[in-house]
Amino acid sequence: MNRYFREISVTIALGLILLAMAVLAPGFFQPQPLLSLVTREAPTLVVACGMALIIISRQIDISVGSQFSVCSICAGLLAARGWPLGLVVPAAAAIGALLGACNGMLVAGLRLPSIVVTLATMVILRQGLNLVQQGAFVNLPDSVQWFGLSQAAGQWTLVGLALALLLVFGLAMRRVAAGRWVYAVGTDAEAARLAGIRAQLVTFMVFVLMGTLAGIAATMNIVQSPQVQPAVGSGLELKVIAAVVVGGVAISGGRGNVWGAFAGLLLLACVSPALTHLHIEAYWEKTIQGAIILLAVVAEGLRQRKSKGGRE
Amino acid sequence: MNPSIRRLGAILVLLGSLVPALAAEAKLMITMMPKAKGNAYFISCKAGADKAARELGVELLFDGPTDSNAAKQNEIVENWITLGVDVITVAAENKEGISTALRKAQKQGIKVITYDADALPDVRSFFVNQATPQGIAYGLLDEAARLMGGEGEFAIITATLTAGNQREWLKHMDVRLAEKYPKMKLVAVRPSDDLKDKAQSEATALMSANPNLKLLMAICTPGTPGAAEAVKQAGKTGKVKVIGLGLPNENKRYVHEGVTESVMLWNTEDLGYLTVCAAVALAKDEIKLGATSITAGALGTFEIKGDNILLGKPYIFNQANIDRFDF
Repeated sequence: MNRYFREISVTIALGLILLAMAVLAPGFFQPQPLLSLVTREAPTLVVACGMALIIISRQIDISVGSQFSVCSICAGLLAARGWPLGLVVPAAAAIGALLGACNGMLVAGLRLPSIVVTLATMVILRQGLNLVQQGAFVNLPDSVQWFGLSQAAGQWTLVGLALALLLVFGLAMRRVAAGRWVYAVGTDAEAARLAGIRAQLVTFMVFVLMGTLAGIAATMNIVQSPQVQPAVGSGLELKVIAAVVVGGVAISGGRGNVWGAFAGLLLLACVSPALTHLHIEAYWEKTIQGAIILLAVVAEGLRQRKSKGGRE
Repeated sequence: MNPSIRRLGAILVLLGSLVPALAAEAKLMITMMPKAKGNAYFISCKAGADKAARELGVELLFDGPTDSNAAKQNEIVENWITLGVDVITVAAENKEGISTALRKAQKQGIKVITYDADALPDVRSFFVNQATPQGIAYGLLDEAARLMGGEGEFAIITATLTAGNQREWLKHMDVRLAEKYPKMKLVAVRPSDDLKDKAQSEATALMSANPNLKLLMAICTPGTPGAAEAVKQAGKTGKVKVIGLGLPNENKRYVHEGVTESVMLWNTEDLGYLTVCAAVALAKDEIKLGATSITAGALGTFEIKGDNILLGKPYIFNQANIDRFDF
């Protein structure tokens, strides 16, 4: 079977849904609403790229939603103090990198299981933010919105930025040694170590990268509206993990790519607006998304059994 | 008899006769506890409470935790018991948590009223209830009907489809729609997970899926600015009207831009005012369980249902008044 079977099947599923929408509810494809919806998913794509790397390296980071919130509020407060965006973006990325480094140190340095470490940091960051911010929105100056561009230009910039990052990671994971180390560590950390790869360092760097991307994504989100809600990004971790898994990244590590994560994200993200356009009750939304995830996991299970069977 | 002893006796008699006179002069001491002292919502409550205290000639002590902290609320109640205040009014952070301290206060003869967030019913005489489910549902729907001219399509953005309070509001709205506004059609109810960003995406899809949509109603506070941002980005300001529950500060920008028509909550100043009036009336034995109404100075008469004093209809913030409120 084709080694890109999973990525291709997700893309076909996405294509079928879009085709069905074109027939049943062509209103779905009006340019302005569609651009607005896609722009809203641009920051999520950036976080999903990071999550793909994390899962490929056989780790998990469920604190990304909280990291995203903390970076959003910090970036918002700095922007509200009059910092130019040219400084706000690197500052948010640096804060994200720091948060990622904390996770990375605990996971790679102390060899603790990432699900427990990031569960703890998820709660700590979220509650810390609640304590400090007390739920109050941060109001941003007008100059922040759409980077000070027009709405359409701003939206295209954000979409372009997200796609550019996707392209960079898509290529780097194949062509750059560091990208291949991530696969090696995720497939078999011990074998990678014997091959001369510093597995713990790779793991640490992947977490730092994840935090940095969460920081960049946070600023890509705050420029889209004039105020930041402190609850922003809650549930984001589940959304991106689902996208990555649906897109064919194996939760057991070592397999998958960011292109699949991209397709998985689009597939899951189009469920809600598609239902709205088909006038189907919202109760179905999460059910369908759950079914898609289950289907992906079953497909993954079958693929692994088949490849094992082939070897015997 | 020694003249000095006689003099002392005279002084004592004089002092003794002064005591009841002083006591009669002593003002009633009313206390008010917010969930958090620095919260603009409660600062606005305090403004109303101060006004009532001035008008009624009572002393008002306003104190609470600096952040929402149930344990700290207990401590403050204990202090007030020691101080021997007349009435304690509390917005409870934790229903059960505060109740032990309040029960103790009642045992010492201190009267207790809750406002904004209730404690257990047996530890207070009355709860000043800022909004009933029916009041909120009817208030929102009536405002929607006014803006839509009583006909056309509208959609609702909620927090989650299972949230108890929101389901109850929707139930009341269904009843009123059938009764009073048969020409209005609710085309969809979409969940936003209490996230402004998701509310925005939902509103965007709702508008493109329902081209005749005249109004978006958000029944969770993050939904209101989220829907407004979607309408603004779609360039449909004025064509699709936005109303919803919310805090003034989160919506000011959109109200001034004409995207959001009205934001609904209760008048927090009135809530503080009514609470102090109720506390004074309770201290003077002017209201008892079973009373059906209470008069609160300049605000007029309010209904009492059981042990709930009802603040009444929700308050509508719009371009004309929203700048007066800072929370």
